[in-house]
Amino acid sequence: MTWASWRLQRTETLIAVVIFALIAALLVPTGLRMAAAYDHDGIAACLASHSFNCEDTVQSFTDRYSHGVGGLFAWLNLVPGLIGVLFATPFILELESGTFRLAWTQSITRRAWLVRKLGLTVGAAMLAALALTLLLTWWRTPLDNLHGRMEQNVFDFEGIVTFGYVAFALALTLALGAVWRRTAPAVVVGYIGFTALRIFVLGWLRQRYEAPLTSTFKFGPRHAGPDVHDAWVLSQQPSDRFGHPLSQAFDVLLQCGRSIKANTRLIDPSCLARHGAGYNHTVYQPASRFWLFQGIETAIFGGLAVALLLFATWWIHERVS
Amino acid sequence: MSEPAAISAVGLGKRYGSHWALRDCTLEIPAGSVAALVGPNGAGKTTLLQLAVGLSKPTAGEVRVLGCSPVHDAAAVLPRIGFLAQEHPLYKGLTVAETLKLGRKLNPGWDDDLARERVDRLGLPLRQKVGKLSGGQQAQVGLTLALAKRPALLLLDEPVASLDPLARREFLSSVMEAVAETGMSVLLSSHIVADLERVCDHLVILSTARVQLTGPIDQIVSSHRLLVGPRTDPAVVGRMHDVIRESHTERQTTLLVRANGHVYDTCWQQHELDLEEIVLAYLGNSAHVGRERILQPVAS
Repeated sequence: MTWASWRLQRTETLIAVVIFALIAALLVPTGLRMAAAYDHDGIAACLASHSFNCEDTVQSFTDRYSHGVGGLFAWLNLVPGLIGVLFATPFILELESGTFRLAWTQSITRRAWLVRKLGLTVGAAMLAALALTLLLTWWRTPLDNLHGRMEQNVFDFEGIVTFGYVAFALALTLALGAVWRRTAPAVVVGYIGFTALRIFVLGWLRQRYEAPLTSTFKFGPRHAGPDVHDAWVLSQQPSDRFGHPLSQAFDVLLQCGRSIKANTRLIDPSCLARHGAGYNHTVYQPASRFWLFQGIETAIFGGLAVALLLFATWWIHERVS
Repeated sequence: MSEPAAISAVGLGKRYGSHWALRDCTLEIPAGSVAALVGPNGAGKTTLLQLAVGLSKPTAGEVRVLGCSPVHDAAAVLPRIGFLAQEHPLYKGLTVAETLKLGRKLNPGWDDDLARERVDRLGLPLRQKVGKLSGGQQAQVGLTLALAKRPALLLLDEPVASLDPLARREFLSSVMEAVAETGMSVLLSSHIVADLERVCDHLVILSTARVQLTGPIDQIVSSHRLLVGPRTDPAVVGRMHDVIRESHTERQTTLLVRANGHVYDTCWQQHELDLEEIVLAYLGNSAHVGRERILQPVAS
């Protein structure tokens, strides 16, 4: 049975391996260079010293790596859904082509067949999620040291959320496929459904897992506010001392911008104060909530995945003949 | 204790939504018989077979296969039956050799020598993907999978419908050889009656979700006859025998009857019927159920 299940999802497993290999081929060279540069530039030591000069070093390091290949990172959001949908296809093909009638009339019962086949499918998908998480986390390590991993496009690849994403895409596609018994529509709608939920969570829900922290602090050469370098900053804008944002913030910022070098601008604090906005109002989710948020998000996707998987199993067990 | 029937059904029914695919099906197929399940498309043949192999659950009544319930005792029934579903579904991406390996892995009672020998004899290329084989070869691979389980009962759903006449003949010979060797029971469905007479000894006629007739073929053939005589009210004959079909011209009445005993009335000319004519008579009547048939003229 295990041989049979494996043989019947071999193609999909190989496709997953190829996808992973492509991503690795793209990331491993820059990952190695980035790790070397991190040591070479002495960034760790620099961070520990809390010296103001560090900002330039860090900035140039970030510019070098977080754009370039790092800019491709957003596209990797497509991968977990792809893996999930991919591993659902052998199952739906089996329903579509009628070969389940062959499988269910061998000596093994339907229940045993379902349990083992689903077990292998889910297992393989989770293994792919693990591989992806490990690769991307390794690649991001130097950048994570600098900027944390709460931000979008970082949070989504580290920790445990990828397991939830892959499981949800898999389960949704499987459930649709069980009911429709048609592979192409199930794959397309499954992927769209997965993407829709991801966008909703990313754009609206995630920042509400817990009320964000806010801080209003006086502008100055030395930041008096909280350390948000590794937080997920939802908004940061000039305000009065009570944190009320300025109505014409953009114009004011333009006026008060003071060119120091050709490409950097500093805001003149006294100018801001004259406009009644000597304060900075920051809304953020602190880095310390990383695992809490990871847990909540994984529970949402994973919980839906389990429900859909149970539904699909029940449907296949009871309704398919 | 006598051997349990290959298949016995009592009041068996299956409903999909509001549509009955099979209704009030009561029949018994004795162990060791080769039974044909005939009827037009949509008559419920596939439904009956799927109920028998446990692919679907009955809405009403009960079916027992080799004495066990295929739903509740699946683990006991499955190893003892061989089933070839309609259009012989196979994993098209697997080679013939891999397909046999699949059978070996999924069946504890698998007879690998039998499978190898069959594939060899039929000249099926082991390394070829199943999807690349001809329809006839695919049907043979499917049959090999079913036979190598060494089943006590073989169920075949329209096994020859998609095959050309030569492949059809070869397939049925394969089945007959296997039956001769092992003495297993067979239930095979078809809408091509001509093939079945050569192969089968038992018949089930299914139409519009109901069993119209069931029994040993020789009894069926000997009990049905065509009566031709002067124009009469068929009710006279109907008191003794079952009138299946009737047609009238101005002077003449033609009746197809299932005779209970002899037809003594000498005003009737009696003709023998072959199986196909009998089956067609029942299928033509399929809109009408039970003994109180609404008689309708046969277009001739």
